[in-house]
Amino acid sequence: MTGKGVAAVEIVDLVKEYPSSFRRKMFRAVDEVSLRIEPGEVYGLIGPNGSGKSTTMKALLGLVAPTSGLCKVFGCDSMKVDARQHVGFLPENPYFYKHQTAEETLKFYGRLCGMRGKQLAMRIDALIELVSLQDARKRRLGGYSKGMLQRVGLAQAMIQEPQLLVLDEPTAGVDPVGSRQIRDLIFQLKEQGVTVFLCSHLLEQVQEVCDKVGIIFNGKMVQQGSLSELTSVDSHTEILVEDMDEVTLEKVREVIEQGGGELLASGAPRRSLENLFIEIANQCGEEAR
Amino acid sequence: MSKIGFISATRISVIAGHTFTQLVRMKVFYFLVVFAVIVLGSQFVDMSTLGAVTAVEQNLRVMKGAGFFAMNMFSVILALSATALLLPKDIEDRTLYTILCKPVPRLDYLIGKLLGVISLVTVGLLVMDGLFCLILNIRVEAMVAEQADLLTRMGRSVEVIETHAAAIRDQGVTWSLQAGVIAVLLKAIVVASIALLVSTFSTSTIFTIIITVVVVLIGLIQAEARDYFLQQQSLGMSSPMLEMTRWVSLLFPDFKLLGIEDGVINGERVSLSLLGRVSLAGVLYAAIYTVLSWFVFRRKEL
Repeated sequence: MTGKGVAAVEIVDLVKEYPSSFRRKMFRAVDEVSLRIEPGEVYGLIGPNGSGKSTTMKALLGLVAPTSGLCKVFGCDSMKVDARQHVGFLPENPYFYKHQTAEETLKFYGRLCGMRGKQLAMRIDALIELVSLQDARKRRLGGYSKGMLQRVGLAQAMIQEPQLLVLDEPTAGVDPVGSRQIRDLIFQLKEQGVTVFLCSHLLEQVQEVCDKVGIIFNGKMVQQGSLSELTSVDSHTEILVEDMDEVTLEKVREVIEQGGGELLASGAPRRSLENLFIEIANQCGEEAR
Repeated sequence: MSKIGFISATRISVIAGHTFTQLVRMKVFYFLVVFAVIVLGSQFVDMSTLGAVTAVEQNLRVMKGAGFFAMNMFSVILALSATALLLPKDIEDRTLYTILCKPVPRLDYLIGKLLGVISLVTVGLLVMDGLFCLILNIRVEAMVAEQADLLTRMGRSVEVIETHAAAIRDQGVTWSLQAGVIAVLLKAIVVASIALLVSTFSTSTIFTIIITVVVVLIGLIQAEARDYFLQQQSLGMSSPMLEMTRWVSLLFPDFKLLGIEDGVINGERVSLSLLGRVSLAGVLYAAIYTVLSWFVFRRKEL
């Protein structure tokens, strides 16, 4: 499908301006943003509200036309319909047709992608299982919670087995267990070679799943690179030790000082609140069973 | 990467089918109950039928007038409100994002939505037409029997009775009546395509409805206005309004071109060539407004 050396996503000097209220001055939502995502990579775009993340995604999906610059998906101009053949998109807080069930929704999107018959039915079954909506598949979406809608959104984004998945705040409104499932799903997709472009406010989650991260602020790409490049502190070294007593720790401190270094901190590492919650939720689930 | 066709009948049918289901599940067909009440109610309008065929015909004209008025009103309201609701709602709910992020050209989306509404109006009209024809036929046959009985008692010949019966049946269910229903459908299609065009640049359903109603009103009166100013001109009174009506006729549809129901109500026969011309005008209007909608919508920022 893709030529050799063709990036999954290529955005070059993207500028997007909107007319302001009185149409005298243009408001620049995205200011010369460039980024490149290789096939199979997971790229996270982070930034505060109104920084231009969603507009960048919309330009990539052909929903808004760039004022200048270009966006390409697997080498194809994003303004062309052809570029969307292998793209799945989950918008922030998605709404679907309330009159449809989850099954009907997936069928509708699958048919829009040209899928039919047994192939579509099998894909719907697999996706409903993947997003854990087996019990609610025949229920109308009007009665779904926000988290359930997000899962339906994720399933519709993946209906045609896209090679690029664009996720705008994929865990917004999802409980920690669901959020963990989405994270695991991204890992799974990465193993399958699917490229993922996501934006999120949850920095911890971005750090967990992304190979590359871009930080956008006031429409400008402030920094980007691989996670290790961006997050490592070159002057510090981290050692994680198990079962060490105070005496040995003192000796280690002495050795460090002899070598010209300084032990900045020691103590028991803390697990994240998310990990604690997942642990308790799993325990409760097992006890209930 | 394979090429996506400019237009696809399959994708259009998927969107049209979905739109139809969406509208049906919004319980829009409840209006059929009101229609049934109007048609049944018109049956009870009774003018003096003392042996005069004209009075009998007048009764049937009233009934047909009420039926066509109700069919026109419901089909136009349905076409207008359904079309005005769909596009702004899809944008507001962001469902449009998820659709247009699939390989769906915007023209397919627009045509699909329009065809979905047209299917709904067609089904609604078919049901209304069926009900209307059934009740009209029952009424005509009852009148024929009543008149035959009256004329027999008056000692009129069989030929006279048969002529009477034929004259009454001419006011009943005829092919011309069905041509009138087709004209009603065409008007609703044109209204839906105008609403589609307005909704591509409007930001709300209410704005779409108001602008479409204004366009339809202009379309309904423009022929009369043009005739009036032409008459003024022939009397030597030149008016800049005549030039304006010419421009209006270029921008707005002339609904008089599609109006053949008045003749049908009066028992006139509609020739095939007239029906063909009316159909062509209706389809042409709808096609022009759909193409204009696409021009506006294809670069719309979402």
